[in-house]
Amino acid sequence: MENLSFLTDYETPRMVTLDHNLQGAMFRLMKMLPARFMLDRAEERGLLKTGGHIVETSSGTFAMALAMLSIVHDYRLTIISATTLMDMNFKSRLEQLGASVILVDDALRTGNQDGRLARLHQVLEENPGSYWPRQYDNPDNPGSYSRLAEVIVDKLGRIDCLVGCVGSGGSLSGTTRYLQSLFPAMRTIAIDTNNSVLFGHPAGPRLLRGLGNSIMPENLDHALIDEVHWVGALQAFRKTRELYETKALFVGPTSGAAILVGEWYARHYPDQTVVAIMADEGNRYQPTVYCDDWLKCQQGWPPVRLAEPRKLSKSMPAGEADWTFMRWAQRSAPMVDRQ
Amino acid sequence: MGGCRKLRMCCALSAGHPMSLINSFPFDSLSPSEQGITRSLRVGTGRAIAHHGELLQGVFPRKDGRLHRALLTLPFPRAESVVTFWPEDKAGIHTRPIGRNKAAKAAMLAFQEFGFSQIGGCLTIESSIPIGCGYGSSTADVVAAIRAVASATGAQLHRSLICRLAVEAEIASDAIVFGEQAVLFAHREGRVLEYFSGDYPPLDIIGFASRDDAPVDTLAFTPARYGSSEIESFRVLRALARRAIRNSDAGLLGQVASASARINQNHLPKKHFTAVLKLAEEVDACGVHVAHSGNLMGILIDATKESSSAQLKFATAAARNLGFTDIVRFSVNGDGVSSWR
Repeated sequence: MENLSFLTDYETPRMVTLDHNLQGAMFRLMKMLPARFMLDRAEERGLLKTGGHIVETSSGTFAMALAMLSIVHDYRLTIISATTLMDMNFKSRLEQLGASVILVDDALRTGNQDGRLARLHQVLEENPGSYWPRQYDNPDNPGSYSRLAEVIVDKLGRIDCLVGCVGSGGSLSGTTRYLQSLFPAMRTIAIDTNNSVLFGHPAGPRLLRGLGNSIMPENLDHALIDEVHWVGALQAFRKTRELYETKALFVGPTSGAAILVGEWYARHYPDQTVVAIMADEGNRYQPTVYCDDWLKCQQGWPPVRLAEPRKLSKSMPAGEADWTFMRWAQRSAPMVDRQ
Repeated sequence: MGGCRKLRMCCALSAGHPMSLINSFPFDSLSPSEQGITRSLRVGTGRAIAHHGELLQGVFPRKDGRLHRALLTLPFPRAESVVTFWPEDKAGIHTRPIGRNKAAKAAMLAFQEFGFSQIGGCLTIESSIPIGCGYGSSTADVVAAIRAVASATGAQLHRSLICRLAVEAEIASDAIVFGEQAVLFAHREGRVLEYFSGDYPPLDIIGFASRDDAPVDTLAFTPARYGSSEIESFRVLRALARRAIRNSDAGLLGQVASASARINQNHLPKKHFTAVLKLAEEVDACGVHVAHSGNLMGILIDATKESSSAQLKFATAAARNLGFTDIVRFSVNGDGVSSWR
């Protein structure tokens, strides 16, 4: 694929200093990195050609990255999401980039993962030769994060701790693998949210999007994770607004969660160098996290400002105003039903 | 400035004989060819150092995204080749010792490049670099020969030209043209992918080889075919090398070398690599390095540490006990006179 610098900027993080020992790796659109890398590799392997058809189930930034790449590189794109997962503004942004967006019903408000996958397989059958990137299981997703590791070591050299949110597991597993091969003592802290199966909660509705999952992705390598934090939606929203109101950083709510945990760790280990991954900018969250009226409608808003997480001895869901953590100590994946 | 100007005018005014024009050093005058005088050659000398494996070798993208094989060499300044060109009346270039054909070819290419034909002379090659041990003796001879020709002709010689001529004379070139300046060098093309800003951090090195690893013929060697995850790892190693050199950080550069050596185990494995890693850990070295197309290995020690000479002594004895051969100590970017000199 041709190297187009106006898209490269989306996938190249800026390192911003948030404290003497805390850096944010701030992306405009982090998912551009795995999306571009996966499509490049698919082209190399002959799975995708110019004019070819891509189909994926995604409701967020991965869909956006695919749509941006598709318009520039002349692919046809079908995105499958659910009525509860995608707002009309976002849908129309994707459609303006030429994507076909299919929203399946979601009466139970659980994301209707089964319904989305069934629809995806239907589209694949109707369009033979279509390419499905499978961001949850495609090893090129974590493999692409050499670019993040590259920027981190160029700017900081050795780091002691990497903090990041987990959805597909690609960014945190991938970046950790590249960095740990150089700095074996580096610690990795994963951020999840309540009712996500990634670290052992039963699946349920999640208010904070962009992290967590209701199925277990192969790209999450639990054996790399030292500690897991579950950040409730309200704590993430509060921290995101605080970043804007104190530092003028206009970022998405998963970045708020990452900085909440990153600051806490950096405060406790002042001699260590900590990097927190910040996956996207704030624009998409203008009608929600950056809207006071919307926040006021959320049950429990405003939450109490928490300086410390509550330590758990076993994985269990807490409230949206809570922040909990436990030592994961690189154990293997929790038992969950894989779909 | 005023004085200089005055002097120049004096020279121009007093020029009675054309020879005085040629000999009046910094001042523009008629060039020999403009005066119809054939350009003469003088005795010229060039030098080039050896290398001892690489700190990093792999494939790396250029700005256009295309991948190129390239390396960050480990200079071995203790050994060097000194080549002198002696002009003779008879056409043709011969070498002493006889039969150094690559050096002769490189010299001839350089003469052609500078616009000289029908050249006659002798290249004397005085090299302290052992031949056939993977220290790049042949490349050093070629580079020193090109430099000798430049000196003999009074030609300007940019490093990129040396690289191009060396590749022409020898198929592949080496970054030793750059001496102790760190560059990511595409050795098969003879060009630089990246100039790292800064110098190599001061390193003390103990280098050796094992009888259990066969020597490698560099030019006949089939280059490694790297996998996708290795190619991505090289990106990270390149960035870390850049950081290490910018900050003169021996520890980080050692990490780069060890990681590159570990990847190389999938392609040209060193039989006693685990023992070398263990030894590096025992002496608290900053890393290990290997020759990616040869059988050399070594242990890198931060020369700024007070303990470095003790570490070096211990490592040397341990390498001997492990049965390694060709044991040699050297420094890169060190200050002062090394204890083994």
